[in-house]
Amino acid sequence: MMEPAEKAVEEAGEYRSNRERKTVFSFEINGVGSMNIKTLKEDDTSIHLLIKGTNAAFMNTLRRIILTEVPTMAIDEVVVIENSSVLRDEFVAHRIGLMPLKTDLDTYNLPEACNCGSEFGCNLCRVSLALESESGDHTITVYSGDFKSDNPSVVPVSNRIPITKLAPEQKVKLEAYARLGKGKDHARWQPVAVCTYRYLPIIKINEKSCDLCEKCIKVCPRKVLRKTGDEIVIHNIEDCSLCQDCVDACEKTPNAIEVTWDDESYTFNLESTEALKPRRILQEALKILDEKLNNLLDQLKGIQE
Amino acid sequence: MIIPVRCFSCGKLVGDKWEDFTRRVKEGEDAGQVLDDFGVTRYCCRRMLLSHVEIIDEIIQFHETGKKRQLHSSS
Repeated sequence: MMEPAEKAVEEAGEYRSNRERKTVFSFEINGVGSMNIKTLKEDDTSIHLLIKGTNAAFMNTLRRIILTEVPTMAIDEVVVIENSSVLRDEFVAHRIGLMPLKTDLDTYNLPEACNCGSEFGCNLCRVSLALESESGDHTITVYSGDFKSDNPSVVPVSNRIPITKLAPEQKVKLEAYARLGKGKDHARWQPVAVCTYRYLPIIKINEKSCDLCEKCIKVCPRKVLRKTGDEIVIHNIEDCSLCQDCVDACEKTPNAIEVTWDDESYTFNLESTEALKPRRILQEALKILDEKLNNLLDQLKGIQE
Repeated sequence: MIIPVRCFSCGKLVGDKWEDFTRRVKEGEDAGQVLDDFGVTRYCCRRMLLSHVEIIDEIIQFHETGKKRQLHSSS
């Protein structure tokens, strides 16, 4: 009889041997089988994936790591030198903190992981951005594009975010320090606006009992079903929200339409704040998960010895 | 007061779209259509722009008139 800890180590060891065959977009976990990923839609800000051969636990792990652990750059500290605008210092500082910044993960370190060990940070864990704006005789708007960054690659993702407005003869002068951070510390470091997964629906239509009344087509809020010739066809299954309205609308007993879901297939939807590319966010999340699992494996080995 | 930088619910950047949004709506375009053009698809982000009132413009008027009065009395 094997001790539980021993068994866990053995299983984890198997995981590690499987890990060697792993690439970012296809890998195996014990008991889950091989994963199959299809990109449904991808652009600069969002990615929509169909992932087969996994389970809800893994999808939720991925989602939570993306939300809380993937680092991005954001302004953490603002030194206000002068602010005579109608907005208070803390109001302005809060707005500045929320601006998403283009993030360079390969150059910068997390402050807690940086070798400098300094409270104030060094060139590898901190970027300073300066803002100085003065209105002349007219009211002006201060934009995110007015910031002058130490590193031209770490700048706000948009130049058109209004920071404050200045009436004639008002002035704002401040210095802001950006650093890498994690979503679990504050939402401004979250790399995504949306990160969700959903079961892939299964819609079954019994052709024998269906009398083509089309009630299910009319009632569907997502327009998933269509009539082609003398049958009801599923047009875009990823849009189905599993609301079961079509099942309720069917007047046959038993119902001619049945909506269930496949708990091994998921659609994954991610929309980035433009700080990082969506694909990069996924890759970073998997790297972090890998580190966490290796850490667990090492600790389990410690228990065994 | 002033347009929020991000959507309160999901965190999408909405602040940078405000000026174009009001300009186009004032020119007579349909607000929903403009939001679709900007790719603001979720209702949490849409309400940020649709329901916003830029009160800072009202407050700034006090500072502008104060300045004018000052110029007037000194001349």
